[in-house]
Amino acid sequence: MTGLRPGTVADRVDGEVPPQVAEPDSPQAFADTLKHASAERLATVIRGGGTKLAWGRQPASVDLVIATTRLTRVIAHRHGDLTATVQAGMTLRDLNVALSAERQWLPVDSAFDEATIGGIVATNDSGPSRHRNGTPRDLVIGITLALTDGRLVKAGGTVVKNVAGYDLGKLVSGSHGTLAGIVDVTFKLVPVPQSSATLVASYTDRGVFVRDVAALDASQIEPAAFDIRADGGERPYQLKLRIATSPAARDAQIAAARTLVSGETIVLSDMDERATWAAQLDTMSHGDATVRFSWLPSRLAQVLTLLEEVRRVENAGVTFTGRVLGAGVLRLTGDATALAAAVGKLRGSPDVGNVVVLRGSHELKQRVDVWGPGRASDRVARAVKNAFDPAGILNAGRGPI
Amino acid sequence: MWAALAQCTIAVVTDRLVQRLRSVCGDAAVLREPVQLLTYECDALPHLREKPAVVVLPASASEVQQVVQLCSAEGVPFVARGHGTGLSGGALPVPGGVVISLARLNRVLDIDIPNKRVTVEPGVTNLEITRQVAPFGYYYAPDPSSQQVCSIGGNVAENSGGAHCLKYGFTVHHVLEAEAVMPDGEIVRIGGSLPDAPGPDLLGVLIGSEGTLAIVTKVVVRILRKPETVQTLLAAYNSTSDAGAAVSEIIAAGIVPAAVEMMDALAIRAAEAAVHPNFPPADTVLIVELDGPAAEVRELFATVEAICRRTGSTVVEIAQNDEQRMRIWRGRKAAFAAMGRVSPNYYVQDGVVPRTKLPEVLGRIRALSERSGLGIGNVFHAGDGNLHPLICYDERIPGQSALAEEVAGEILQYCVDAGGSITGEHGVGADKKDYMPRMFSADDLDVMQQLRDAVDPQRLCNPGKVLPTPRLCGEVPGPYREHPVEKAGLAERF
Repeated sequence: MTGLRPGTVADRVDGEVPPQVAEPDSPQAFADTLKHASAERLATVIRGGGTKLAWGRQPASVDLVIATTRLTRVIAHRHGDLTATVQAGMTLRDLNVALSAERQWLPVDSAFDEATIGGIVATNDSGPSRHRNGTPRDLVIGITLALTDGRLVKAGGTVVKNVAGYDLGKLVSGSHGTLAGIVDVTFKLVPVPQSSATLVASYTDRGVFVRDVAALDASQIEPAAFDIRADGGERPYQLKLRIATSPAARDAQIAAARTLVSGETIVLSDMDERATWAAQLDTMSHGDATVRFSWLPSRLAQVLTLLEEVRRVENAGVTFTGRVLGAGVLRLTGDATALAAAVGKLRGSPDVGNVVVLRGSHELKQRVDVWGPGRASDRVARAVKNAFDPAGILNAGRGPI
Repeated sequence: MWAALAQCTIAVVTDRLVQRLRSVCGDAAVLREPVQLLTYECDALPHLREKPAVVVLPASASEVQQVVQLCSAEGVPFVARGHGTGLSGGALPVPGGVVISLARLNRVLDIDIPNKRVTVEPGVTNLEITRQVAPFGYYYAPDPSSQQVCSIGGNVAENSGGAHCLKYGFTVHHVLEAEAVMPDGEIVRIGGSLPDAPGPDLLGVLIGSEGTLAIVTKVVVRILRKPETVQTLLAAYNSTSDAGAAVSEIIAAGIVPAAVEMMDALAIRAAEAAVHPNFPPADTVLIVELDGPAAEVRELFATVEAICRRTGSTVVEIAQNDEQRMRIWRGRKAAFAAMGRVSPNYYVQDGVVPRTKLPEVLGRIRALSERSGLGIGNVFHAGDGNLHPLICYDERIPGQSALAEEVAGEILQYCVDAGGSITGEHGVGADKKDYMPRMFSADDLDVMQQLRDAVDPQRLCNPGKVLPTPRLCGEVPGPYREHPVEKAGLAERF
């Protein structure tokens, strides 16, 4: 085994200091480390940038962290084919800097500067850009995995259209490191838009806000991102519509959008535009807990009412940002009792689903299961988990399966 | 292959099983007469045929579940079938097994315009979804050429694409949730009508698994708002490489067209003979379609037109209305079937190359055509490098069928050599499973088999498809090791 060192406080996984940290310097070393860990039945956590390491249940113990810090290369950027293959340990930010040389990018957002490709795929984490481009699983066209039996295997390929074999790249998307180590990923890319602007409309009246969101959503305007925000401030409701295309088409669509909204509007570009979208992602950090959930777009009014109730009854601070398509994140502030009650209220509502506590104190995690109630398909997921990780070492007890 | 040995997992369909199937689905929905079974011997890949023992046509998810439970209890293999339009033998029966036709599960269950979702049973045709939502200004994006007849269940199995997947993606990007009968007869919902269900993306694996992991009984798809404007042009070229250069320039300009299609001289001739689209005389035609907000399309379309002229297009025709646009597409979509007008028999191949390798691979295909003496027409999705060479042959000439198959296989090798895939949208099925080792290592394939065994430990769900050389019964999953029968020299793997 190469690159093994004692763990330090900086290597903590949700508070647990691992006795050992491996930093494999090659894909095969990654696989060898996993094989060793499986043979020794070491509770193992795979780490990229460590930005989402506290997501998941509180660990009973962590024996080994495998960090992808030495697998950080762009293996290929085939710009004529709009594809790139990149090692798991590279950060999204560095990748997009590299791709920008050819005016292309991987259209994924992360709240965290240090977030790596491996971690983003493993969590299927996404942001406002999913409105047009989907989540990471929609962009993965090929993958190399390190298995717990020491093998390196590939699925998919380097072409955007390919239906040969099972799509293991999708399988590990959202698996939270419970099935295999992600070694490298091949993505389809998109061109960097020629120009961009964002219409922000602010509202005091919830009904008018909901009506405008629905009207824009049903229109033929094709935004690159379409978000909402509710933070309990003076003008508590905001919609943000990003148009990214040629300059003339941008202006025409912004003008068309303006005719459909009645709130107080402002059009942002450049630095201001970047700041307003960064604020949408910022909900992922700070506060006492981060909760992800989803809803049907037609239930937006009920969702906003529900969040009001959480704010009022549970006395929790609630900042809500989300995608109009029905996926969002709450930043909550309050003590563990209040937050556990808030999570319970959300889970009890027929208007929201997939309520997951991404981040929270140990006390909160003891009061609620971070992943929420099980589903019928968990049986299938567990059978697959057992095939990939028969010793049950990967993110043991922490992940969704 | 292991044919004889693999039989050991297969139980026979007994009269008792048939009786039980009849009590589940009704007498009329259980077919046993040879003449009734004939339709089910193959899908749209007619050179692969097998006789099933029995065909059942359940009318509900619950009936599908009971049929699967019976098969599972008896150890009888079963194959799900949609409308039989598949091109890789994915619905090829297991000899002596059960075929489960989903044709009677053909109800549209829910149309939810505010949430842009439609819930359908698997036997609903692809185009029916668009027909249902068109009055509201919406459509279902994946559009395989067979969309008038192919079923959504089949689309899910094959992860079907179509001409517009360059911009809009494949079935996997448009299905939110599936209700599926697992190989042991349990019904589960996979994915979710709401986004971000926690855990591994099982839905992403199910879609495109070619009916080997489960039988889908309900599908929730998302629908899209019809774009404000659609503009289509057809550009004639004297050479495929000039047309290829135009495609590269369009992509380099940062434009993602809704569709970029190419047809060569033989394909143009066939389409003219069949549906008279009135294409200009040319070595190659390029079809480019842009859609979206009017201002955007207007601007980008002018750029595309300029690129076509700059790259040497002899004629650029712009569709002035829907009728002219439909005429262009009629010529393109009819090209496969039209090959019958210029050749007694033809073989449709499906392979993918990186877009930038198109000219090189087309050159190799042309040389192969000359060398083999078989005409090869090319109709393809140029935007994403998905080739559909149409290999012309005459089965009455001894040896030509075999030669055509050999030529088709050679083309797949070119695709793999160029860093592409052996299938972009038709699937591996029974037809291409032996080509899988050209793309994937033994370990790659082994882990796929492990995944399959985790979901279908009895190996009853569409066995013999997708993965090559089924393992012997009792062989444990893991890295390749020599089987005792192999060791004894009694069988070999290929």
